[in-house]
Formats: sequence, structure tokens, C-alpha cells
Amino acid sequence: MVEETPAGRSWVLWALAVAGLGILTGVLILGVASARLEPGALRVFLIAWIVVPYVLSGAVAWWRRPASRFGPLMMLTGFVMGLTPMQWSSQPLVHSVGNFFDMLPAALFLHVFLAFPSGRVRGRAERVLVVVMYAVTLGLQLVKILLGSNPDSLFTVVAAPATGTVVEQIQLALVACGLVLGTVLLHRRRSGRERLRRRPATLVVDAFSLGLVMLALLYIGGLLSWSFIEPIRLITFAALGLAPLAFLFALLDLRLARGDVAGLLVELQSDPTTDLQAPLARALRDPSLRLFYWLPEFGTWADQDGTPTAEPTSSVDREVRVLSREGEPMAALTFDSALDEEHELLDAVVAATSIALENGRLRAELRARLHELQESRGRVLEAGRQERQRLERDLHDGAQVRLVALSMELGMLGAAPGTDDELRTRLLHAKGEVSASLEELRDVARGIYPAVLSAHGLDVALESLAARAPVPVQLSVSLTERPPPAVEVAAYYVISEALANVGKHAEATHAWVCVERQGSQLVVDVRDNGRGGAKSHTGSGLDRLAVRVEALGGRLAVRPADGGGVEVRAELPCP
Amino acid sequence: MSLRVAIAEDSVLLREGLTRILTESGLDVIAAYDNADDLLNRLKVEPPDIALLDIRLPPTHTDEGMRAALTIRREHPAVSVLVLSQYVELGLAMQLLSESAEGVGYLLKDRIGDVADFLDSIRRVAAGGSAIDPQIVSTLLHRRRTGSPTDRLTPREREVLGLMAEGNSNAGIAARLVITQRAVEKYVSSVFDKLGIPSTGTESRRVLAVLLYLRG
Repeated sequence: MVEETPAGRSWVLWALAVAGLGILTGVLILGVASARLEPGALRVFLIAWIVVPYVLSGAVAWWRRPASRFGPLMMLTGFVMGLTPMQWSSQPLVHSVGNFFDMLPAALFLHVFLAFPSGRVRGRAERVLVVVMYAVTLGLQLVKILLGSNPDSLFTVVAAPATGTVVEQIQLALVACGLVLGTVLLHRRRSGRERLRRRPATLVVDAFSLGLVMLALLYIGGLLSWSFIEPIRLITFAALGLAPLAFLFALLDLRLARGDVAGLLVELQSDPTTDLQAPLARALRDPSLRLFYWLPEFGTWADQDGTPTAEPTSSVDREVRVLSREGEPMAALTFDSALDEEHELLDAVVAATSIALENGRLRAELRARLHELQESRGRVLEAGRQERQRLERDLHDGAQVRLVALSMELGMLGAAPGTDDELRTRLLHAKGEVSASLEELRDVARGIYPAVLSAHGLDVALESLAARAPVPVQLSVSLTERPPPAVEVAAYYVISEALANVGKHAEATHAWVCVERQGSQLVVDVRDNGRGGAKSHTGSGLDRLAVRVEALGGRLAVRPADGGGVEVRAELPCP
Repeated sequence: MSLRVAIAEDSVLLREGLTRILTESGLDVIAAYDNADDLLNRLKVEPPDIALLDIRLPPTHTDEGMRAALTIRREHPAVSVLVLSQYVELGLAMQLLSESAEGVGYLLKDRIGDVADFLDSIRRVAAGGSAIDPQIVSTLLHRRRTGSPTDRLTPREREVLGLMAEGNSNAGIAARLVITQRAVEKYVSSVFDKLGIPSTGTESRRVLAVLLYLRG
């Protein structure tokens, strides 16, 4: 497409529009003068009611969006509509040509409406339907004329009007079906993303749907020879003529949207660190708009939070605009295809936000780095956890087993008949030493890793913790399934440490432990009724645990509880 | 007829030691496996009087033994279960006792070395009684808690309470403390009075009542 200035192009367009309307006027005068038509004036008005809005709206659309085929398509529809009155002429050739184009507007309306807003018909079903409609409105039209369905036509080859009438009925039925099907397709495209779509665009689609349905009704009425066909004709023409007005309204709304760009700039100036996706969506009036940044250091696309995403691609309803800087992609927007037609607005927004976008990318990169850091910290912790678990297992299956076996052996020797008393005493003493070692080893192993936790879960492990706690503890563990090991261990240590603090500082007489899943989080809550104050917990092992909790992407908070005492609350992400 | 015992313990050292102690003490070890599934299969064809299980058994060495013990409690009520472990957990004890304390025991492996006591526990559990590891009971009894009703017990009464919680019968308590059974009965009713625990009748039922009370 050759780039032309709007000024240089506009006179061509206007000339075309004026010329078209001039030809139309001639044709209409011809219609009024014709004896074939009853009531002539009304029919002429109806035709003009369609032709004028389509030609003018088409001209405006073509002028505003030279790259889009939508404008030319609208103008063409108007012109063809203007050709149909030729069949009112008493001049045989003019009449015959006009008669041939009689049904074509039905296909054109469908084509225009399905091609909104890009001017291209998207979707396989839609394309097939449009082609079939052209075949039916032109091909079958020719067949029925050749068969002599219109006695006045010059194109009659065989005089078989009965067969011609059958073809005509088939044609009308097919056209009506096609129009209904087109409405369904339009509606399906709309309803799938109604809430996402920009409002004026929805209005346009609704107006188009109404036009198609009425047109279908008109053909069905003609086929079945309804007596009240005239009111239907009036409503149909009214609806078809109003559709371009909805389209013009959508264009006007776009003009208003430019005001939002100014608002966007003000918003960005007042807070340069704001995330851009929402303001952009507002300014472009497309809630479905998504913003992506290219992060060269990570070699990936990411959203504004730095979370890696797939490369943004276009689809049936979605367009992609990649914004580059120095030949490298920087950011990308995906948006409703309706917006693609408004690229001046897009250009304005992109130009206005270019520096903000650059900042936004740096922010996304920083966040991605943070994610990475958090993940690697989590991996280090997890490796540590696994190592501790392995150590505990080694102790359990190694030293502990040997000591138990030794204690058994000593016990058996001591119990054997005929052992003298002094030896028995020394054996029992030795066994006591072994038991003491086992006891110490058990404490060491428990300190290394709470084996009962990984084997039996939080509810069982907490039962023992609560039993050892210095104050009575009311336990409430409501979990339907077990959290991941790292989360489980963190929750266990938080509760263990919090209960130990209750004993050390709080002068409490009771504690409450609550573990539950809230959405995608495991929430651990330990409260007491002491007078400790949150300060009593600082400098304790909880500080160390806060690091562990944060490494899992969670939060640990120590604060005064309602009604005195302290509340320790940990929120751990739990997929 | 001597007591018939089946064992599931994955450590060869302990499995053989256990078998030897029991056999030398005149018990009939009918089977000793290194996993729970074989034991469960054997139970179906030839149920012993009592099954001894390690908590950690293959394949995952986590809770296989515990699950097998609960299965036996559910599906073979005639077979008593004694769970042995290198650590004892109140939570697991409560799971084992959740239905009743009859014919069930949960002891540290360390206890095997106290041969006489250990055999006594096996016989008690096999006869439908219970055996709860002293460590569990002493954790519950000796935690530093102010204002607990157990503070009002005399030292002797605390001792009796502990022995009751471990599953000892009145006769067993009498023998342990070297006092008469009548004296034990007096202590027991005094403890129940002071703590406000309703009298439960049989000796094995009172184990659960006392443990639940101590757990708080």
C-alpha cells in the first residue's frame, strides 16, 4: 500500500462518493418514472436510505483507515444496492442487468458485517459462508434467469418458467439460511468475549446482527408469500440503513478515546513507577489488552510482573503489536482485533508511553531477577532439607539400630539364668548407659529432622509438639491433603518455635494453634493469652524462621493478638 | 500352649535379636518378615496371638508399619498388635488407640532390652490389655504446667496414674510398687476422684480415659 497523506487522498474519495451518489440519483429518477413500480416513491426512499449511509460511511472509513478493506467494501455495497433499481426500467437491457444484480446485496451485507472491523473475513466457517452466498446470489440468479423465470429478461435461453421458479425458491431458502447462519457466527464471535470487547464494537455487531436477521425474515416472507411482508420490508431497510450509523458512532468513540491518551500521560507523570497494563487498557478502551516485555537477559517474554510467558502471537480475535528499540524487540501488546483498525490511536499511545515502557521493562526485569533469586534461595533450602532428612535416616538405620541391638544383647545377658549378681549389676548399668545414649541420639535426630512429620503429616507431629508444650494447647489442623514437604517443615518449625516462646516469655496459660488452607496458601496461626507483647519474640528463632518462610515466597508476622498475648502468623504458598 | 508371635522388622540385626529373645523366653515365633505385606498375608492364613511391627518398613520407610497395624486392628480384631519404634509420638498413640485400648501396645525399641518388662508387656497386650511407652506418659505427666489438677495428686497417686496410663493392671501396679492390690484400688479411686474422671470399669478402658485426660 502506497502511503498517501489524508489530504491528498481525500478528494479522490469524495469525488468517488459524489460521483456514486450522482449515478444513484439518475437511477432513482429512472425508478420513480418507471411504470413497473408500485408505490414508487417509498421504494425509492428505501433504496436511498441504504445507499447514502453505506457510501458515505464507507468513504469515511476508507479515509480514516486507508489500509483496511472495510471502507471500500461498504462503498461497494452501497453502489450495488444502487444498481438494483435498474430492474425497474422499461428499457429491456437496463432491466435485465438490474435484475441480474437483484440478490447480490444480500451477499454483500453478509460479507461487510462478517468482515468487521478489519475488512478481512476471519475464520474458516465465515469464509466458506461468504463464498457460498456469492455463488447462490449470482450463480443461481443466472441459472433461474436463463431458465426464463423472468419473462422480461433478455437473458432467457430456455422457456421453462416452472423449473425457474423452483430454482428461485431454493435460492431464497438458501439465502435466508445463509443470513441466519451469518448471524449465529457473528453472535458466537461476540458472546465469547463480550465482556472483553470494547463497547462501541459490540454495538456495531448488534446492529449488524439485527440487519441480517431482518433480511433473512424478508426472504423467508417472500418465499412463503406472507401477507404482512411490507412492514417487514420497512423494518429490514430501517435496520440495514442504521447499521452504518452504529459504525460511525464507533469511529466517533475512537475520537473521544484520544482524550484518554492525555489522561494516560497525566497518570504516568504523576506516578512514573505505575504498572502500565491497566492504564493502557483504559486509554485504549480494551480491557482485554495485555502487555508483554522482552527480557533479553533471560531470553524470554514476560508479563509486567516478570513472570515468563510464551511469545505473544495473534489469533482470530487478537492482534499483536511488537514495539522495538534499536532493532531489538522491547515490548509487545496484544489486543482485540477491533483495535487494530484504530492504529492512529495505538501509535499515539505507543509514542506517548515509550519511555514509560522502557522503565516498565526494567521493572519487569528486576522482578524476574527477584523471582529467580527467590527460587534459588528456595532450592538451597530444599537441598538442605533433603540433606537433613537423609542424615536423620542414616542415624535411624545406622547408629540407633546398633545401639538398640546392643541394649537387647546386654539385656539378654543380664536376664540369662546363672549370671552372678555382680555381673548382672554391671550389665544392667551398661544397658542403662546405652539407653541414655539412645535417648540423646533421639533428641539429636529430632533436632536434625522431624521424621514423624514426613512420615505421618502435620496433625500427628503437632500432637506431640502440643503435648510437650509448656501450656495447654488447643490444636486445630484442617487439611484435606498434605502440603509439599518444604511447606510442611516450615509450618512445623514455626509452630515449634512459637510454642517454645510462649513458654519462655509470655506468662500465658493457654495457646491456640490453627493450621488451615486458605486458597493457595497454608496459613499457620499460633496465639497465646499471655502478656508478652510482640517484642518478646524478636531476636528469637523466629527471625531465622522468617527467612525460611520468605524463601518459600511466604510471610511471617508477629503481632499483638486480640485480647492480649501474641499472635504468630505464617502464610506459606501452597500450590 | 505358648504364645504365638509374628514379626515385621526390616533390620536383620533387630529381627534376629527379637526372635532369639522371644524364642529363648519360650514364645513361639511363627514368622519374622522384613516388610508389612508379607505379615498381612500370613495373618490371613495363620493368625498369631500377637503381631510385632516396626513403624518404619519398606518400601518408603515412613508409615507402612503404622498403616499395617491399623489394618490389623480393623480387619483382624482377634490379633493383638504391638508397635515398636525408635521414637514414640503421642499422635500415633492416639491413632492406635482411637477405637479402643484393647490388645494394642506402642513401645520404644529400647524397651526390648528390659527383657522381663518387655515380655510382660507382650503377654499383657496378647491377653487384650495395653502397653503405652512410659516416655509418652511421662511427657504428659511432667510438663511444666501450672494450675493443672494433677498438681493436687500425691507423689504416690501420680505414680499410680502413670502406671495406669502405661496399661498396667491393678495387680501389675501392686507388684511394681510392692503394695497390696487393695491399696492400689484405693489410690486409683482417689486419683479418679481428684481428676474428675468417670470410672470406666475395665482396666484397659481406663488407659484411653487417662491418656485423653492427660492430653488435655
